Amino acid sequence: MAVVTDQAARHAVMPRLFSRGALALVLGIYTLYTLGPFLWLATMSVRTTAEISADHYAWPRPFHWEQFRSAWVDSDFATYFWNSTLVVVGAVAIVTLIGAAAAHALARYRFRGNRLIYGILFSSIIFPPQITLISLYQILVDYNLYNSLLGLSLVYVSLQLPLTVYLLEGFFARIPQDLFDAAKMDGYGDLEIFWRIVLPVGMPAIATTLILNFIQLWNEFLFAVVLITDPEKRTLPIGIRAFMGDHFQDIGMIATGVMISVIPVIIAYVFFSEKLIRGMTAGAIK
Amino acid sequence: MPEAMALNVKTSDREASTSARSLADPRRASRVVLAIFLAPALLVYCGLTAYPAFRTIFDSFFTIEGVEASFVGLANYRELVADETFWIAVRNTLIWSFVAPVLDVATGLLLALALYAGVPFARFLRVAWFTPVLLSYVVVAILWMWIFNYDWGVLNVMLRAVGLDSLAASWLGDPNLALASVIVTHAWKWAGFNMVVCLAAIHSLPREVLEASELDNCGWGEKLRYIIVPMLRPTLLSLYILAFIGKMKIFDLVWIMTQGGPLWATETVSTYVYKRAFNWNTFDLGYPSAIATVWFLVVCASVVILNRLLGTKERLEY
Repeated sequence: MAVVTDQAARHAVMPRLFSRGALALVLGIYTLYTLGPFLWLATMSVRTTAEISADHYAWPRPFHWEQFRSAWVDSDFATYFWNSTLVVVGAVAIVTLIGAAAAHALARYRFRGNRLIYGILFSSIIFPPQITLISLYQILVDYNLYNSLLGLSLVYVSLQLPLTVYLLEGFFARIPQDLFDAAKMDGYGDLEIFWRIVLPVGMPAIATTLILNFIQLWNEFLFAVVLITDPEKRTLPIGIRAFMGDHFQDIGMIATGVMISVIPVIIAYVFFSEKLIRGMTAGAIK
Repeated sequence: MPEAMALNVKTSDREASTSARSLADPRRASRVVLAIFLAPALLVYCGLTAYPAFRTIFDSFFTIEGVEASFVGLANYRELVADETFWIAVRNTLIWSFVAPVLDVATGLLLALALYAGVPFARFLRVAWFTPVLLSYVVVAILWMWIFNYDWGVLNVMLRAVGLDSLAASWLGDPNLALASVIVTHAWKWAGFNMVVCLAAIHSLPREVLEASELDNCGWGEKLRYIIVPMLRPTLLSLYILAFIGKMKIFDLVWIMTQGGPLWATETVSTYVYKRAFNWNTFDLGYPSAIATVWFLVVCASVVILNRLLGTKERLEY
């Protein structure tokens, strides 16, 4: 009797142990698959191209931190970095403000055409970019905004507007009406209510849209490549791509440039991962 | 989201009660106030989304060389029907749009389940699996061009290391392998996004149902098949549609990795529009406008059809 139960127990344990091990192996391999390329890139960014050519997979020794200085100063990555910063920070600030204003009006007030305006603003989220791209090129040329960071910023505002309105409208609609009633009693005007109640109370949602918009625009490529041709005006993604086109063999410097573009995003993610993920999941979960 | 629904009910109750004293209705605002709030967004929308979209559609009936535009009627569309490259691009894009979302969503769901089941180091793994989502297409493209490199790319190095030299290939240079290689790269980037959404959805499932199934000694396979997947259906469907739309628009990754080559093997509609408008020196913006118009209609129609077909009652979000 004792032997039978012992055997039964072993039968139950053995496959479980095996499947645990197999599972750990699969997860380990998958982790290597997602993280490996990134770590490989990180090691290459502190190695010289000569070292990389000798062995593509060696550990950096010594760490050539001066690669970053050289990418920043000699290879124009500083220019691209500041262009990106200017365009993205400007666009994110504007889109958040005007998106929040629209979202507030749509969430709070009842008026004819409320849902129609919401639908119009929101629906462009499914547009393929080409439907506006070619004409935007013509329009920006007409208005002398082609090859200008201001023009690109304005286009970026329009690109992120639907998502911003969508996320903020959903959040603002859940702010209790009592808060507004009380503010009205205290004699707050409609604009004051927006400025002094909605924006502070809505801060968690606004932070979410800020970080989501920042990462998406920081990585934007298609509109930048069409609307910017002047090397002085390049943003990071097109700057890296142009550098890669010209210096195909200079792997070390490409890796360093790529790292420069990745670092702000990683920093943003480290500090705001919860907010970013909340924004990304907001749409897809019902 | 049940709590949101509860709130909705509450507010509509209040709407009914306040309409009685409509004079002081806090949900009313003067036209001036509404205009101040809505005008900037509508202005941006009209000027930089609606007007360009209409102009592209309008332009598709013209041949446009610089400032010279001459009306050609439907000639661009007739040319399009006979354009073999366009149809190759359509085929590639459709293959991509139907195949890749299954890959993305399935991987995402499995990863989310692993985290939900409480594997060790779950916090670390969640971050590690999510990292690719943060990287721009330029970064992802460069990384994977190196991974696919014939001489020293990771893939071929590993194949040679285990003695499978014959399988080592020029992944992006071979017309038979290029599309699959780019699709794998794209899946690498997006699996983490689907994982995060699935994980959030699993966590928002009612606990009682999952606990009850555990009491009933439901195995993981059964739990997955009979409880989790059916309850996650709306999330999985919207993820599928979201991925589908994303693939219909795909440009950046393909453009940087292969420029649509070799021999149009990875050409997508987006890269073809870009080539015709800005890359080939054809100096005509009318024809690419026609492609963009057709594709715009195809994407809109697909979203409507998919929504109907997959039975998502709610409007598509995100």
